[in-house]
Amino acid sequence: MNKLLLITLTLASTLFATEIPTAKVEVHKFNKSVELNAQVIQLSNAQQSITSLVAGHLEKYYVKPAQKVAEGQKVALIESIIVSKMSANYLALKKQLGAVSKNYTATKELYEKGMTSMQELNNQEIKKSEINAQLTALESQLDTLGIDAASLKKATANFILRAHSSGVVSALLKPLHSSVNVSDAILSIVKNQAYYVKSFLPIEYATKVNVGDKIVVKYAQKNIITHITQILPTVDEVTQRVVVLSSVDEKIENLFLGTYLKSTVYFGDALEHMAVKKSALSFFNNEWVVFVPKMEEEHHEAEAGHDEHSDEKHEDEDHDEHGEEAGHDDHEEGEGEHHEEHEAAYTLTVVKIIAEDEDYVAVEGLDLNAEYVSDKSYYVKSMILKGSLGGHGH
Amino acid sequence: MLEKLIELSLRNKVLVLVLFAVISAFGFKAYQEIPVDAFPDITPKQVVIYTESPGNSAEDIEKLITYPIESAVSGMAGVKLIMSNSIFGLSYVSIFFEDDMDIYFLRQLVSERLGSVDIPNGWGQPQLGPNTTGLGQVFWYQVKDSTGKYSLQEIRELQEYIVTPLFKSVPGVEEVIGWGGDEKQYNVLIDTKQLQNFGITYSDIVDALQKSNQAAGGQYLEFNREQYLIRGAGLYKTLDDIRNTVVKSAQGQSITIGDVAVVETGSAPRFGSISIDGSEAVMGMVLQRTATNAAKVVERIKEKIETVNSTLPDGVTIETIYDRTEITHKAVSTMTSALTSGVILVAIVLFLFLFELRSAFIVILSLPLSLLIAFLMMDYYNLSANLMSLSGLAIAVGMIVDGTIVIVENSFRKLHDNPDGDKFTIVYDAAREVATPVTFAVLIIAAVFIPLLSLEGLAGKLYSPMALNIVFVMLGSLLVALILVPVLILLLLKPTGSGENAVMKAIKKGYTPLLMFALNNAKKMLLSVSVIFLILAYVLTQQGREFMPELNEESIMYRVIAIPGTALTQSTETAGEVEKYILKNYPDSVESVLSMIGRSEKGETAQGNYMEVLLTLKPNIENLEELTNEMNEDLEHHFTYVQFVPTQPIAMRIEELLEGVKAELAVKIYGDDQKILDSISKDIQNAISDVDGLERMEVESQLGQAQIKITPDYLALARYGIRVDEVMDIIRNGIGEEPISEKIEGIRRFGIVAKVKDAKKDVESIKKVTLRSKSGALVTLDQICKVEILQGAAFIKRENLSRYMVLSMEVDGRDVASFVEEADRLIKEKVNMPTGYYIGWAGDFKNMKEATEKLMVIIPITIMLVILLLYTAFNSLGKAMIILLNVPFGFIGGIIALVVSGIYLSVSAIVGFLAIFAIAILNGIVLVSFIDELRVKFPHVALKTLLKDATLLRLRPVLMTAFTTLFGILPLLYASGVGSEIQYPLAVVITGGIISSTLLTLLILPSTYLLFYKNEHLCEDDVR
Repeated sequence: MNKLLLITLTLASTLFATEIPTAKVEVHKFNKSVELNAQVIQLSNAQQSITSLVAGHLEKYYVKPAQKVAEGQKVALIESIIVSKMSANYLALKKQLGAVSKNYTATKELYEKGMTSMQELNNQEIKKSEINAQLTALESQLDTLGIDAASLKKATANFILRAHSSGVVSALLKPLHSSVNVSDAILSIVKNQAYYVKSFLPIEYATKVNVGDKIVVKYAQKNIITHITQILPTVDEVTQRVVVLSSVDEKIENLFLGTYLKSTVYFGDALEHMAVKKSALSFFNNEWVVFVPKMEEEHHEAEAGHDEHSDEKHEDEDHDEHGEEAGHDDHEEGEGEHHEEHEAAYTLTVVKIIAEDEDYVAVEGLDLNAEYVSDKSYYVKSMILKGSLGGHGH
Repeated sequence: MLEKLIELSLRNKVLVLVLFAVISAFGFKAYQEIPVDAFPDITPKQVVIYTESPGNSAEDIEKLITYPIESAVSGMAGVKLIMSNSIFGLSYVSIFFEDDMDIYFLRQLVSERLGSVDIPNGWGQPQLGPNTTGLGQVFWYQVKDSTGKYSLQEIRELQEYIVTPLFKSVPGVEEVIGWGGDEKQYNVLIDTKQLQNFGITYSDIVDALQKSNQAAGGQYLEFNREQYLIRGAGLYKTLDDIRNTVVKSAQGQSITIGDVAVVETGSAPRFGSISIDGSEAVMGMVLQRTATNAAKVVERIKEKIETVNSTLPDGVTIETIYDRTEITHKAVSTMTSALTSGVILVAIVLFLFLFELRSAFIVILSLPLSLLIAFLMMDYYNLSANLMSLSGLAIAVGMIVDGTIVIVENSFRKLHDNPDGDKFTIVYDAAREVATPVTFAVLIIAAVFIPLLSLEGLAGKLYSPMALNIVFVMLGSLLVALILVPVLILLLLKPTGSGENAVMKAIKKGYTPLLMFALNNAKKMLLSVSVIFLILAYVLTQQGREFMPELNEESIMYRVIAIPGTALTQSTETAGEVEKYILKNYPDSVESVLSMIGRSEKGETAQGNYMEVLLTLKPNIENLEELTNEMNEDLEHHFTYVQFVPTQPIAMRIEELLEGVKAELAVKIYGDDQKILDSISKDIQNAISDVDGLERMEVESQLGQAQIKITPDYLALARYGIRVDEVMDIIRNGIGEEPISEKIEGIRRFGIVAKVKDAKKDVESIKKVTLRSKSGALVTLDQICKVEILQGAAFIKRENLSRYMVLSMEVDGRDVASFVEEADRLIKEKVNMPTGYYIGWAGDFKNMKEATEKLMVIIPITIMLVILLLYTAFNSLGKAMIILLNVPFGFIGGIIALVVSGIYLSVSAIVGFLAIFAIAILNGIVLVSFIDELRVKFPHVALKTLLKDATLLRLRPVLMTAFTTLFGILPLLYASGVGSEIQYPLAVVITGGIISSTLLTLLILPSTYLLFYKNEHLCEDDVR
């Protein structure tokens, strides 16, 4: 116990005035990521245009652009001669059917009484079926247009367009009171939850991403997580970059199409490497190095520290001053020895950087759990370079 | 001729008195007007050309700026040496000229040459450095904010735009340099990744900013008989103006800077900082123009401080950090107090010998008169009153009175012998008799100091004012002695009862037997003295040598050097720690600590790893030397990661002037490849590391600056349709923050920088800087360039168009000359020099060597000249030789004193020997001429008896001249103020020399004379 105390004391006093922190080489997960430019887009199937089924005259929009609509909600009113014809026809046919039905019933009674021929009865039945068929056809046509035939009391020209799905009205395509033809798009509705992020990747990253990788975009101070759904096979002609689409999973309010965003692509699974803190790196003789404390010196220094420790007991100095004194004593012992100690305190290991993130770098050249100087490597480098100058002087 | 002069002045007594009164008046006026400085101006004639080239590396600057400048100026007339230093962001070329050329003419010539230098556009504009001397930094101040309201940036702005113009308007101020804090700039932060969003490129933004910030003049219009000027005021006024600048417009919509970038206030990259007592600060340095009076300039600056303070906001004041005049006053007062105490001592000695007030008065009066004449001449020749020139006067104090003493003594004796004679005739005769020897003696003294005038370089600049002043004051004393003194004697001196006082009688009583013994044993005496001299001469050659003793400036300063490539932030932190440490551990001695880190923005060559730490000491320090040593050791061991080199403010500048080598001694290794130079320097270090006396070696490592090198890949560029200049522009402006335009606020100008956002976070972020080509392609730097990290040059030094590297060293406990000899031999033996590589020694030592070599030629010539003068005076080579023989007698004492006090042989000591030379000859002349005179008068008396009588009669004047000289110099020996250490060796040598010279003159000279003329029959011709 006592000895341990001695060793720590000596280390603190004989090293430098500045304390050099150390750490052990550890395994660190590296999430390789890259920042890119991206744009919010919507795939073409996510946009629906509502087309008129009939030709006619655009009377009224029930919605405004950017208005949210629910499925089946009325969006526009079109007055159509066709609809009015159809409804009038329907009503007329319905009357005819009533009349024909009466005729038929009367003829049947007569036939049953034998007052008329079978042929007459059949004629009446054909007539009734014909009208009935016409009526059913018309009814289904009206139904297609969203008009309830059963409740139709009088002829109408109004054709009401309804939203097919819920979403936001993105544009009104026809001016009011204009004539519309069949299959003219009247307005468009953008479906909810169909946003995509289009990221532009340099080729070198494009080869590394996979469908399913995460892309995080920053939008209005909020991180939106998306996942890659598609990597387009052709490079974007303008930017010379590979385009990657990722779908926005969550429901985002006020996400505007065409917005450019900053996106961060995270590649695949995190790689695990042996890593040191970035603050440990130092560039030395054209190579990256990490400084490693030399362990053998400790014992020798501990001995030297023994005397000083007892000195301290006598004089009861504060720790800081003791530190200086220790350094002083060392010096008196002889210049050569002094040098050795300083130069031997640390050695350097050349490392190869293979990956890095904000705080850590993955390196080759160090063993796991090896102790290294984790910060203030500058001071250690200074010591070593100064040592090679050859003299300390007074 | 001399006789006529004496007769003429005796006959026109009143005229002579009036003449001297007028001369004194003018002399006094000159005395008050003479510029005062600590040191003579030792700066070599040099013109400095510096070219700021922000952000560029040493290698590129050397290639593109330094070399073209060097070659343009290399063929100029009068160029002695061209040195250059290319560092990160700056090219510094220094041209040394012959000293006799006019600096303004030289500057003119250099700027003409600069016109032909072809430096690529955007790489900077060469500028002539301030026209100041190496010691031009006369006043340092801090712009101090005691309220804490102002940021460093604001204080720096106050310094730049309020303080600097005011101080610059002070006459004699060449330049005011601001240092510390940071300078404001406006950052337009662009995220280049996002340029795609707007379909613009980086250069579109740069273009837009440059084109929008414009002003124009639209001439005038006449309206109703009046003139209206038309002015286009398109310069940016607010940051919103910048934000609203249109970059691109499309379909009635405009994209503005505000859309694509964030505009904010930032600070320009800096190269230096200032730390005072642990926190950053802003300071300024006032540079004095060449050939102006430092004391006056500082005085005027101090007057101006009040104006400056009232102009500055409340709570912000100018605080003096360093004031050259303090040391100047200290140095000058050391010298003047030595001078005055010398004068007083001389007066006392004179009175003791003469014991008569009137004669003492005449002699003493000649002192200030001669000095005033010297001041008059100093003024005429534009010499400043400084440590060296004043010490010349102090040395001469004792000799000034010699001529007068001889004349007064002779008249005194004659009047005493013949109290009833015609006074006019007696005085005339007395003066006439000694006029010739006195004149020749003075001329010889002047001649003896000529070698000093011939010295070149630093030694010459230091010591020639001293020599000149000795010559001036001796000439003055000659005028006084020959013209005024006879008149005064005639008017004042009265025959007195007793010519001999008790002191003289006692001395004579003891001296007579000795003299008789010497005369009887003439041969033996001469022989033993010769042997002693030869032994001592050998001892002298073994004595250590040094160029100049260290000047004690009563201050402590450190040069602190960290490893090359150290960041400014780190150095600033170190500085803060050093300051706090010193203040904490030496609270009783240290008032405040200032660190100057890196360089100010104007043409200095220090980098971020270098700082200068100046301690302001408390006034009550008892043992400065002990404190310095203690502190040196303490700091060295506490801050193990930097090197401390103790120095002092002026000493440091002088060291720098020694051909750019900031060290006492250095080896310069010349050659082309820095890596080879580096390895040679390591070999040399190994070879000489064990040489005795080597205290410290320090290689100015030129390598070690980590660089991120971005080399364009032309194929890749072609692929994306991007030109190299687009890449370089983004490196220069976007990453390097070179302003693309300026926001002008009144007279203040601040750069507008189109900065790439987050480009300088780390190495990786540089690689990921994105460019958008005109066609829209988005690429990162590492896609189109090779980005590599490597170790490059921190700086590149060149001398006369060749690269070199400096290995500086410090030698202690041994003289430098012998160290160099041994080290040089070891290097030649052990270090293998590749072809094209060679070494040379430099530093203080080189000057010493040059000075010594020069003196080896000049001294024999001087001796010849002295012999010629003596021969002319006595018309006899034999007597000239007898007198010359006196010189070694003097040297004996000088050498003994030197060896005993353990002083190295420095130029200062050599000056002492020269003075002894003069004194010995003076003693000899006085005696020999008198002996001759007596021999003519009493041709039949036996030579020995005659010699004895003559020597006894001449004892008083010889002793008097010796004692006055001795006591004149004594104050220098005991002086302790600033500058005294430079004069100390000189004083030691002279003291020893006078004692031996006087004693031996009185004993050996008569004996020698006896030996020479024993068998000769006297005839009239012998004595003129």
